[in-house]
Amino acid sequence: MANLLWLQGGACSGNTMSFLNAEEPSACDLVTDFGINVLWHPSLGLELGENLRRMLDAIVSGEIAMDIFVFEGTVVNAPNGTGEWNRFCGRPMKDWVADLAKVATFTVAVGDCATWGGIPATAPNPSESEGLQFLKREHGGFLGKDYTSKAGLPVINIPGCPAHPDWITQIVVAVATGRGGDLTLDEFQRPKTFFTSFTQTGCTRNMHFAYKVSATEFGQRKGCLFYDLGCRGPMTHSPCNRILWNRVSSKTRAGMPCLGCTEPEFPFFDLEPGTVFKTQTVMGAPKDMPTGVDKAGYIKLTAAAKAASPAWAEEDLFVV
Amino acid sequence: MSDEDDKLRETIRSLLAGGLEVEVFPRADTHDEVQAIVGRLQANGDLKDRLAIAGFTLTPIEHEGIEQACETCMYYQVHRCYCELPELDVPVEPQWSCRLWRI
Repeated sequence: MANLLWLQGGACSGNTMSFLNAEEPSACDLVTDFGINVLWHPSLGLELGENLRRMLDAIVSGEIAMDIFVFEGTVVNAPNGTGEWNRFCGRPMKDWVADLAKVATFTVAVGDCATWGGIPATAPNPSESEGLQFLKREHGGFLGKDYTSKAGLPVINIPGCPAHPDWITQIVVAVATGRGGDLTLDEFQRPKTFFTSFTQTGCTRNMHFAYKVSATEFGQRKGCLFYDLGCRGPMTHSPCNRILWNRVSSKTRAGMPCLGCTEPEFPFFDLEPGTVFKTQTVMGAPKDMPTGVDKAGYIKLTAAAKAASPAWAEEDLFVV
Repeated sequence: MSDEDDKLRETIRSLLAGGLEVEVFPRADTHDEVQAIVGRLQANGDLKDRLAIAGFTLTPIEHEGIEQACETCMYYQVHRCYCELPELDVPVEPQWSCRLWRI
């Protein structure tokens, strides 16, 4: 039996919605098949008011063991570092996070807000938000860069806006079944099993990427979304086209550019008008190249690939 | 390539060869410059105006060491010889060029 506590800070509940839609395994499977005891969750917990406060105090004191501490949303520090804008059970949420992180065997940040601050931490960051162990790309965050949970691991970051439900439940199951030590994390503490490949890996528009045929408007059945519509699939680490959403699709398969939501800089360009869904260019070349590609090589490859593109690449083609 | 495309392509060629004044420079080097030109195109439906605003030429323009020909532009459809930037949406030739070129 592994005790799990899930709390929300500055959050929209999107990751909770995602979690509750998990299928492999489902949220119910966690309890029935994998021995996870959900101590409390904002949408599932039974305790209210003083009863919840007593439970949290018991966890902090060690009276109740907490094996997995899942946090969703940012740690809100406003105003002036007090955290009073986000109170929970009689005190600032950030104080609960500080106390609970000390007694957690594993600490898991779910979603962009909990991992690196996400949209709330975008400048000017009025809520003084930060992630558990990162603020955007800067290591540290609320818990500090040296934090490790009782298991000796740093915060396990499962980013995304929201995180895919199966990323959440599969990591929770790995931890609950004693395989937490097998997790390998990348430089941003994301499980490598999910975040080594790119969103583009498995994208059904890859042939259009190869032949440099661009989608120029939403809803087109042909064309790559990277060249004009701001898709960040070639430089975003996620398995969105390997572990499909709702088992059937992904943003790019549906004609929606990847927004790069598993990367620390999300949302890119600070949401300035005209920057979302539009590939940024410098002298006619994409400002952000596919990971590992340089500008000179890109231009040569593009010219050659375009010249060699077959006619069918310019026709409508089912890519869903 | 359709007859309709051919006719319009010939019209464009005649206009440009006949001395239609076009804004070849400045090239759209930054995102803001691209947006400004695209915004002007969206407000102008007339073919001559669009050719002028986009800075069409019958030969490639070399800018900052890069030859900006239609045939290497991301909006160019190779087999139809067509520019599918929604704000332009015109038949072109591989060696033509405009300042919204992008790769």
